[in-house]
Amino acid sequence: MLPREQITDKLMQIFEDCFEIENPGLDDNLRDEHEFDSIDAIELLVEIEKMLGFALTQEEKKQAMDIRTLNHICDYIEAIQRNRE
Amino acid sequence: MERRVVITGGAAITPIGHAKEDIINSLINGVSGVKPLRSDHLLTDYIHSRVFGTVDYTVEYDFKRRFRKTMGPVAYYACQVVKELLAASGLTQDFITSGRLGVAFGSTHGSPTVQRSIYKKFFSRSQTEFSAIGAVDYLKSMVHTTAVNITKMFGITGRVISSSTACTTSSQSVGFGYEMIKFGIQDAMICGGADEYDTTTVAVFDNLLACSTAFNDTPNKTPRPFAADRDGLVVGEGGGAVLLEEYESARKRGADILGEIIGFACNNNGGDLILPNVDGIKETLRLGLKSAGITSDDVDFICAHATGTKMGDIIEAMAIHRIYGDSPYVAALKSYMGHIMGTCGVVETLLTLYMMEKGFIAPTLNLDEIDSRCAMIRHVTEIMDKKIRIAAIQNFAFGGVNTSIVLKKFEN
Repeated sequence: MLPREQITDKLMQIFEDCFEIENPGLDDNLRDEHEFDSIDAIELLVEIEKMLGFALTQEEKKQAMDIRTLNHICDYIEAIQRNRE
Repeated sequence: MERRVVITGGAAITPIGHAKEDIINSLINGVSGVKPLRSDHLLTDYIHSRVFGTVDYTVEYDFKRRFRKTMGPVAYYACQVVKELLAASGLTQDFITSGRLGVAFGSTHGSPTVQRSIYKKFFSRSQTEFSAIGAVDYLKSMVHTTAVNITKMFGITGRVISSSTACTTSSQSVGFGYEMIKFGIQDAMICGGADEYDTTTVAVFDNLLACSTAFNDTPNKTPRPFAADRDGLVVGEGGGAVLLEEYESARKRGADILGEIIGFACNNNGGDLILPNVDGIKETLRLGLKSAGITSDDVDFICAHATGTKMGDIIEAMAIHRIYGDSPYVAALKSYMGHIMGTCGVVETLLTLYMMEKGFIAPTLNLDEIDSRCAMIRHVTEIMDKKIRIAAIQNFAFGGVNTSIVLKKFEN
């Protein structure tokens, strides 16, 4: 299970490389402050799958649609990992 | 209600230049944009034709990521020419987003580059565990990707028409845009087309023995429309757009009026999907004149479709002769650029406007010896000073679709 600090670092890198969003605040509203929309969210899920090394189920993906901040994303990834253990 | 429709702007990315001055210089100096076909490391190993109408200069794009993320290469061409067109137009942001401005824009088949990347993932079985198709791959590759990326980038809320009828795609854009304004549905329309570098199209025509292969070592010598030794078409890439406006509102806002569209016709041969049809084309040309309310004698110049195929050029020459006789001058601008597919109609419209403005007609390149079966019309073989008053731009597509756009020089 990836520790939270490592998840955060990887997400920061993904946001910079894939979405051209540099150093977003952990509690920034990604949609309002960084124009991160639903299409980006779907793309992010693919990156999360690569990070975790397994495919997410449709149910798991649907749970991600309400995520608004990086901290929420970290919570989401940790929950996925816990449920898969 | 029928309203006058004028052209108040244009921009193009073509194999013979991007800036208006560069394109005009290429026409005046007989510069060809046909170059060696660049490799795609896939189909080009099997294609016999080794030539391509190439955009070989750098286009500086500065689109933000929120726009780029839904754009394939074809949408880059489309959005860039519209960006340039709108920047020069003087239209206010309020008007652009008012719903009174629409978009008629298409491409031959969206973005083949993106489509290929999707299938590559499937057939290589390299990413079967994860989501192989990106969330935006469809938006990048879909048939109407050009039109809706334009609406998104500029906040346009009016009608959207996205024809995809191969070689008549952008002439339909111009024609349907003209009709939108003429009949009072929209006050202005951005009309055009784009096609990216794509070897699938080359392979299709190559398979049909319709591509030029005899001039692989001298790309600028082909295509050779109407010439006795023509041996087929040359596929090309590019994008083009024109801005159409209702005349009175364009005049009131002091827009620079480049020309007037006075007629448009579009019909179908009603039969074979590939073979050119002289009766179908004749009917298109006749309907174009009827729509414009003029006679054949009124037309000074015909911008022929003339791709350089063996049969197509003869059928077109026959149709021109039967409708127009040998009165209007005829030139084939594909001899400069190759066949830029869905984009050819709008680019040929724009280049005809340039020639109207500057008072010359560019000759058909490579027309060293006219095919005797095409000789009954008035070919332009050398650059000539000529004040074009009325011109017709004609295009014909696979599927039997034909178009004719009738342009008039604007006179106050």
